[in-house]
Amino acid sequence: MMKSRRLALRALAATGAAAFLGSCATNAPQDTWQPKGPNAKMIDDLQQPVFAVAGIIGIIVAAAVGFAIWRYKDRGQPIPEQTHGKPALEITLTVIPALILAVVGVFTFRVIFDLARTDDTQLVINVTGQQWWWEYDYPVQNEWGITQPIISSGQLVMPVGTKVLLRETSRDVIHSYWIPALNGKRDAVPGRVHTLRLEADAPGIYAGQCTEFCGLSHANMRMEAVALSNEDFAKWVAGQQAAYQPPAEGTLAKEGESVFLNQCVRCHQVEGLKRADGTLAIAAPDENVWSGAAPNLTKLMSRNTFAGAMFNLLRDACRDDVWRADSAEFGAKYLAGVDETCLNVNDLRAWLRNAPEVKPMYANPALLADTNGKYRGMPNLGLSESDIDKLVAYLLTLK
Amino acid sequence: MFKVGSKLFLGLSGFASFNLVAYIIFVERLAIGGVALSMVLAALVGLTAIVMLINEGDSESQPRDNALTGASLWPLMTVVGLMLLVLGLVVAQIYFVLGIVVVLAALAEWLVQAWSESASDDPAHNESARQRLLHPIEFPVIATLGLGVVIFSFSRVMLAISKSAGAVVFMVVASLVLLAGSWFALRPALKGALVSAICVVGAVGIVAGGIAGAGVGLRTDLAEAAEEGHYLHRECGVEKSKYFDKKAMKTLSLRSNVTAIIELRNGRLSAVMVGFGEPQQRVTASRANPVTFIFRNFDEAERRMVASLGSAMAAGAAAPETTEGDSHAEKNETCTQLIPQGAEQALTVKYDKPSVAQDAPLTLTVPGVAGQAIEVFVP
Ligand code: HEC
Ligand SMILES: [Cu+2]
Repeated sequence: MMKSRRLALRALAATGAAAFLGSCATNAPQDTWQPKGPNAKMIDDLQQPVFAVAGIIGIIVAAAVGFAIWRYKDRGQPIPEQTHGKPALEITLTVIPALILAVVGVFTFRVIFDLARTDDTQLVINVTGQQWWWEYDYPVQNEWGITQPIISSGQLVMPVGTKVLLRETSRDVIHSYWIPALNGKRDAVPGRVHTLRLEADAPGIYAGQCTEFCGLSHANMRMEAVALSNEDFAKWVAGQQAAYQPPAEGTLAKEGESVFLNQCVRCHQVEGLKRADGTLAIAAPDENVWSGAAPNLTKLMSRNTFAGAMFNLLRDACRDDVWRADSAEFGAKYLAGVDETCLNVNDLRAWLRNAPEVKPMYANPALLADTNGKYRGMPNLGLSESDIDKLVAYLLTLK
Repeated sequence: MFKVGSKLFLGLSGFASFNLVAYIIFVERLAIGGVALSMVLAALVGLTAIVMLINEGDSESQPRDNALTGASLWPLMTVVGLMLLVLGLVVAQIYFVLGIVVVLAALAEWLVQAWSESASDDPAHNESARQRLLHPIEFPVIATLGLGVVIFSFSRVMLAISKSAGAVVFMVVASLVLLAGSWFALRPALKGALVSAICVVGAVGIVAGGIAGAGVGLRTDLAEAAEEGHYLHRECGVEKSKYFDKKAMKTLSLRSNVTAIIELRNGRLSAVMVGFGEPQQRVTASRANPVTFIFRNFDEAERRMVASLGSAMAAGAAAPETTEGDSHAEKNETCTQLIPQGAEQALTVKYDKPSVAQDAPLTLTVPGVAGQAIEVFVP
């Protein structure tokens, strides 16, 4: 008896210690307890005292339960007489929790309403979730220099110290947008527009993750919010609106462009890309992809990640350089984008070689009866290594 | 050391570990099933530890006189459920589902009854133990079923008789219920049997009415409207339907978060969008996605909003309203109904192709209001 008891206690202690140590991780970019903007700060300021109160009550209740279990455990004594009703005690035990909850409720409601404000917005960004990546589009807002809509994916770029309002929706199932350092979660629901406030105090990258189970690659549906100073944001906007530069004749990239036109344009839009006959190449993801969209690759190399921020476009060393840069240098480093020396060729090539192998997706051509022959995700296109060489050279020009 | 409780949980833990190992070997390594079984195992081991720690459940049961247990309905119900299951396999899924429900309910009742009958030597106490456990579930379920039958029957009556007769019947039935209720409340001394008799007569009357109503079918105008499909049908031109329904706004769940609210005010169109301080002349609509606009008419004349869907095949109305052969389907547009001043209506559209693929900009316009259009940008 003693032995088994000691064993159980030891196991309990070990689990507790593991949980405690786990909470001390230093590199935890998605730590909810480290707010990096006013909205997240508001939540944290509410959450800390509530957690303390709830924690104390929790310990008291658990201790009382433990005491009762221990003190009145079965020692062969007769079952005590059962009684019913003790109004004074019952009323007290109802009123006290009700009061506590009422106080917590007042503060909670205030925060909820503050977080729901949409009348002080300075910049609107539309966010559309789909299996398994996020699309961002920036509606025309002349005060930010956005004179034509910008479309991007994976990394949400926003100016620092600005009240940004996301208008979220989804193209297939329910997803949920969550950048823990900047605000709580908000579901993206097909056919509806839900808003989420974001504001970052300092330039930097803030990691996040889809938090509504959305299918096979839910765990790989990540995102990053990138905050830039106002000047850097203006540069980013200008860069995103810059006209398409076709690769020079006779280069590998030019050959890549024609491979892209043959293989990729049916799903991926590159703004300004023209076919050999001079007409604009218009992607038709609605005919090929179940959710009706594929990432817009016009400025692919201006972002640091791809495929729902699951893979880095930058090699680890280059990426660390950007992530760890201090606020003053961060903007310039981020705006430099991806060049040949920094490109994470391995992951990009693996993606082009056989995307469903590196990211689980419903892309088996033989199993598409349920989706009218449309893919969920990017299929294996059976490209040759030399085609991949050309494509990588071409993709590097998309900046 | 090992008594009843710990033996039970130890056995369950052993069974779970066996299953886990078998699953990993025979089914799949490290799949969701394996994770789930590991969790079950962890939970059982935890429970075993607690039980061993506190001796709970280890008391040996005392001998009891169990000879006098009552008759039970539940074995019979279980068999009925099983038969429904088999029937469902052969005939239709609905019976199968019904069978599952019946079997589960009957087994639960049976289990609780069997347990309660051996709880103590005192049959009265046993019965009250059973009731304490089951009444909170039984009463609401039975009440819901009963009410459902009454409401469904009553609705059949209302659909069968004319609108004005419907109002009269409604008032008469409601007053009868009110009268009976007040009477019962004022005379607590009334015999229980009398009260139940009155209730049963009322319920049977309504159900009988419902059966009769279902037999008669829909009243003429409803039947005609259903045949005409006017609930689904929408005109972009002059209304042809006699049953044109201005109030069919479909805005119940939509109105709280639409893409934009398009307002017609003093002959000018503008788009109100959450997040934008000023009304806009251009809205962004997510591609390949149902997007909802609300049209608000502040003009004196009756107006409707028309959404152009772009070059042929480039977009489709998300709502299946656009019946084939309609002129507006050929023109590739869709619209709200005509709505009077102060009214509003929702319109859901799906643009499959981006604006760059269109010959002309996509717009939201109001026929009869010249020079005004909201441009819809589709990225
Ligand atoms: C059948 C449609 C389809 C085709 C054809 C296709 N892709 Fe994709 N592609 C997708 C989808 C869908 C995704 C998003 C997958 C995800 O992240 O879950 C994607 C993602 C990508 C990404 C990551 C983009 C980002 O910002 O996250 C790159 C790069 C890419 N594809 C390149 C290509 C290239 C190059 C080709 C041509 C060889 C190609 N794709 C052909 C559907 C397609
Ligand atoms: Cu998701």
